[in-house]
Amino acid sequence: MTVGLGPFLALAAVLFCIGLYGALSKKSAVMVLMSLELMTNAVNINLVALSRFRDPVGMTGQFFAAFVMVVAAAEIGLGLALVLALYRRTRTIELDRLDRLKG
Amino acid sequence: MLLTVIVFLPLAGLVAIALLPRDSRGAKWLAASVMGVDLALVAWVAAHFDVARGMQFAIDVPWVSQAHIRYHMAVDGISLTMLGLSALLGLLAVIASWKQEDRPKAYFAMLLLLQVGMNGVFVALDFVLFYVFWELVLVPMFFLIGLWGGPKREYAAIKFFLYTLLGSVFMLVGILALYLHPAGGTFDMLALAKAGASGALPFGFQWWVFLAFFLGFAVKVPVWPLHTWLPDAHVEAPTAASVLLAGVLLKMGAYGFIRVSLPMLPDAARAWAPFIGVLAVISIVYGAAVAFAQTDLKKLVAYSSVSHMGFVMLGIAAGTVEGLDGAVAVMFSHGIVTGMLFLLVGMVYERTHTRAIADLSGLVVAAPLTGGLLAFASFASLGLPGLSGFVGEFLSLLGGWRSALLPKWITIGAASGVLLAAAYMLWMVLRVVLGKPSAATEGMSDASPRELAVLAPLIALTFAVGLYWDSILRFVDPAVKAISVVVTGAA
Amino acid sequence: MNWLVAIPLLPAAAFAVLWPLSRRARNRLQWLPLAAMSGSLALSMAAGVAVVRAAAVESSRGAVVYHAAVEVARIAGRPLRMGLRLDAVSAVMLMVVTVVGVAVQVYSLGYMHRDDRKGWYFAVLSLFSAAMLALVLADSFLLLYMTWEVMGLCSYLLIGFWHELEAPRLAAIKAFLTTRVGDVAFAIGLAVMWATKGSFDFAVVLADGAAWPTGAAWPAGAATAVALLFLVGAMGKSAQVPLHVWLPDAMAGPTPASALIHAATMVAAGVYLVARSMPIFHAAAPVALGAVLAVGLVTLLVGGALAVVQHDIKKVLAYSTISQLGYMFVALGAGSEVAALFHLTTHAFFKSLLFLGAGVIIHATHTQDIREMGGLHKALPWTTAAFTAGALALAGVFPFSGFWSKDEILGTLWRGGQYLPFAIALFGAAITAFYVARLWFRVFGWNQACSLARESHAEMIAPMVVLALITLGIGFASPWFATLLGEEARLPDPGLAAASTAVALAGLAAGWYVYGRSEARGTEPLRRRWNRAYEALGNKLYFDLTFGELLITPYIALTGRLSRFDTSVIDGAVDGMGAGWRRLADSGARFDIAVIDGAVNGAGRLVKAAGARLRRIQTGRVQTYQRLSIAALIVLVLWIFLRGV
Repeated sequence: MTVGLGPFLALAAVLFCIGLYGALSKKSAVMVLMSLELMTNAVNINLVALSRFRDPVGMTGQFFAAFVMVVAAAEIGLGLALVLALYRRTRTIELDRLDRLKG
Repeated sequence: MLLTVIVFLPLAGLVAIALLPRDSRGAKWLAASVMGVDLALVAWVAAHFDVARGMQFAIDVPWVSQAHIRYHMAVDGISLTMLGLSALLGLLAVIASWKQEDRPKAYFAMLLLLQVGMNGVFVALDFVLFYVFWELVLVPMFFLIGLWGGPKREYAAIKFFLYTLLGSVFMLVGILALYLHPAGGTFDMLALAKAGASGALPFGFQWWVFLAFFLGFAVKVPVWPLHTWLPDAHVEAPTAASVLLAGVLLKMGAYGFIRVSLPMLPDAARAWAPFIGVLAVISIVYGAAVAFAQTDLKKLVAYSSVSHMGFVMLGIAAGTVEGLDGAVAVMFSHGIVTGMLFLLVGMVYERTHTRAIADLSGLVVAAPLTGGLLAFASFASLGLPGLSGFVGEFLSLLGGWRSALLPKWITIGAASGVLLAAAYMLWMVLRVVLGKPSAATEGMSDASPRELAVLAPLIALTFAVGLYWDSILRFVDPAVKAISVVVTGAA
Repeated sequence: MNWLVAIPLLPAAAFAVLWPLSRRARNRLQWLPLAAMSGSLALSMAAGVAVVRAAAVESSRGAVVYHAAVEVARIAGRPLRMGLRLDAVSAVMLMVVTVVGVAVQVYSLGYMHRDDRKGWYFAVLSLFSAAMLALVLADSFLLLYMTWEVMGLCSYLLIGFWHELEAPRLAAIKAFLTTRVGDVAFAIGLAVMWATKGSFDFAVVLADGAAWPTGAAWPAGAATAVALLFLVGAMGKSAQVPLHVWLPDAMAGPTPASALIHAATMVAAGVYLVARSMPIFHAAAPVALGAVLAVGLVTLLVGGALAVVQHDIKKVLAYSTISQLGYMFVALGAGSEVAALFHLTTHAFFKSLLFLGAGVIIHATHTQDIREMGGLHKALPWTTAAFTAGALALAGVFPFSGFWSKDEILGTLWRGGQYLPFAIALFGAAITAFYVARLWFRVFGWNQACSLARESHAEMIAPMVVLALITLGIGFASPWFATLLGEEARLPDPGLAAASTAVALAGLAAGWYVYGRSEARGTEPLRRRWNRAYEALGNKLYFDLTFGELLITPYIALTGRLSRFDTSVIDGAVDGMGAGWRRLADSGARFDIAVIDGAVNGAGRLVKAAGARLRRIQTGRVQTYQRLSIAALIVLVLWIFLRGV
């Protein structure tokens, strides 16, 4: 049985939407970060799938995905460090209460 | 390279003074030693100067190559004479200010900064460099008058600054005009002089550029009727600043005429000569007449400067070798003699707290040295033969008469200045030096050894130049001859 | 003969040593100038001997015996030299200056011995001698001019010696300024000379080779200009009308200084100048010589007339000096330098003698007013004898020196066919004899008071005796003098001598008639008779008044007005420009605030108001921003879809 390109893209779209929803609606900064990770991985799936089906020889998408994973790891590390620092200063990680930049 | 050291050594001294602790008494020692070394270096240059060659001790390296601006310095006989004057008076000004108690660090720093500008003007051969030094002089003098001056010091300082700045703006226009003109196209003063001598610059252009330079230089000299900043500045300035103002700063204007206007714009110089000659005569006679009526000793000396500088302008307008020799000789002599007069007036003021001629009398009885030297300086100033003042004024008259550019009545009018100078000087001597001591002078102390030490070199030079004319003319004459040839077409 | 340079340098060195010293040290060294002067005298004698030796050879008569110069400068590469030059004229002048100089110095030791600034007095006297000696040895008009002015300085210092009194102060400045009027002309003359000949050297401008003087090739115009300008210079120094006004006032100085400077030597410098530049005057003949003659004639009359009415003994002598200098100018105008120089010589001796005598008299009587004197011949026998010798010489009585030299001048005029000048000069001689008699009888005649007077110190008497002997004897040297200067020796013409003697005696007799007879006690009748003339003479012929009213007062008023003009108009214009600029700046500032700044502020306010509204969006919540971004993204995508790419 062969699976076509469509299901991969559909999976990616679902994952992305879940991530987007989480990023927009979750109160905790940690949850927002996790949602962001979901969105990144949705994109990764897209990249790998499109590469595999449209340009099997090139492997460009796979490489790109690998890069995105590395950067995402770094990003999540940095993000968590920021959250930690934020927590130390403000004793909260609820985004709605972190509104000091209000104009 | 040596000239660079001479010019910028005072700047190093300034930095060193800035590093001294706040209440340090070392500023004057530092300033004096820097000035002393400077003077020694100038003396070394003079000793190794070859009068037969023109510009010497040259340094000529690119500075801002995009705009063809070069760091070009050298001395010829005229520059050297002026440089010597500036270095000598600079040192004496420091020693004369030995008792400066009010913000001494800043005061001596300003004197040193002033020295940089004064030395620089006389050796710079690139117009940009020249202009920088020219304007640099204004700043320390502004502060010397404005911070350490008399009661009306702010007014006098601002008047001095704005007036001369206005003049130098015109000069800047002239400099740029020469730079932008196709036949000029450079800031190098020697190259421009060559262009001027070759007749490459059209007459109409020269005429306007001469006017621009005239305004710049004439304010500084000062030529009547642009002279009124001078009495105010002198009256308010502290003694040392007065000495340098009259002794060196006024010479910058006349030096500009000789270094810039005549060689670079000879055709215009010929056309303008009668006009300048007339202004010179007016300066001589008018300055002498107004000096006669002064009631303030320092103002009298200030107006006498206007009169004496008229002789410089007469020599410059004449354009003959005698005239230019005379002009430079008057510049030098006026520097030392008027310096002496200002020092003496300062000494009298310090002791009597007045400069009103009416309050002073019998100085020679109360203080024989001070009074006697004031009389001596007065005689030197009125041009007694055997003293330096005579040399220049006499040569100016010879040059004025021989010049084809000037009508004869101008020289005759100028000669009457010799009589009028005697009138105001002796009238002052009669009231101040002679007679019975007044309440103000009664019991005043006589000159101190330090003050005598300041005056002594000036007295010696007054005699040396007056008796042995060649002591300065050997430097001046060959340099002046080259310029005169360009202006008058004959030696 | 390089030792010649020591003649002026010795006294100059004495001055240079004394000048920087303290008053007390100077006073202690008061003998130094005298020593220097004596050295100069000895050397001058040696120089005289050298000249006489040279003159023994016919061909080199009047030639330059010695000449040496140093270059003081190069103007346009042309050398400007100054040096010393000895010829017969210089030698004669040297003798006059040094002899009178030494006599005066010796005399001053006595005259000034109580003055606490005598050291300074002697120093200046020394400087003066140095300048005068350099002047007569000068080899160029430039050096001559320079020393000329230095003498002016010394004269100023000596006239104003007692400067704590007002009269000497004013007299000093008057003397300096009046002579400087002449100096200005002299200086312009030098400028003309330089422009014409390019040199000041006698050797060039006078073109004198062996014989002095010979006419040189001068362009007539330039020669006339130079001659007349030099004449004006000489008139200032030699107190010729109308520049004579300073000399009588100069009597405010110490009497011996007057004897040396204002009678014997310096005032003769003008005569010397004209005599030296005679070739130029000849080239400018007849205008220049005529002018010299006219000036001399006017001066001798004015001086003589004014001498008659003076009451101050020194002023009588001063006006007499003016008059005698006029005689010298007359001689020069007649073209005879020899006569002029001879009169200069004799006059120097007898006039200094008279002044020294006057000094003794003033010391003895403590007054200078001759009306308060009288009968001094008993108290002052030596002085009386010496003074009388001088007075007779001045009056021109044989065999005293004045007779010979005045005769020479009269003879020159007569022989030259200038009869009107001759008559005037002869009349002047009568006036001279008259005022001499007046002076003598007023001072020595009558047996009036002043019995307290006593003869002075020996150092004051001795110089007078020496000068009296010279006055008595020097006249006989007249022919030799002419030979020495290179002219034909000539004894006085008997007829002329008789005429002049008769005139002199007549003048003396008239003086005796008015002032000398025992019954003649007053001049009141005379005065009443010639009231107008007497008043004019009493006012010094209005010269001083005229100068004061027409020159000095207007000049002082002018200076005051110019000074006010300077502050109000010229400086007013500068300040006005400053004030105007400031007003302009003020209104500019107002415009700036209202309009330009207003526009800027308006823009700012607009932005601020907009910002106040827009800040509401800025919640500070991250997720709000995200939502906005997503919404914007969706709108953008929709827009792209709907528009097509």
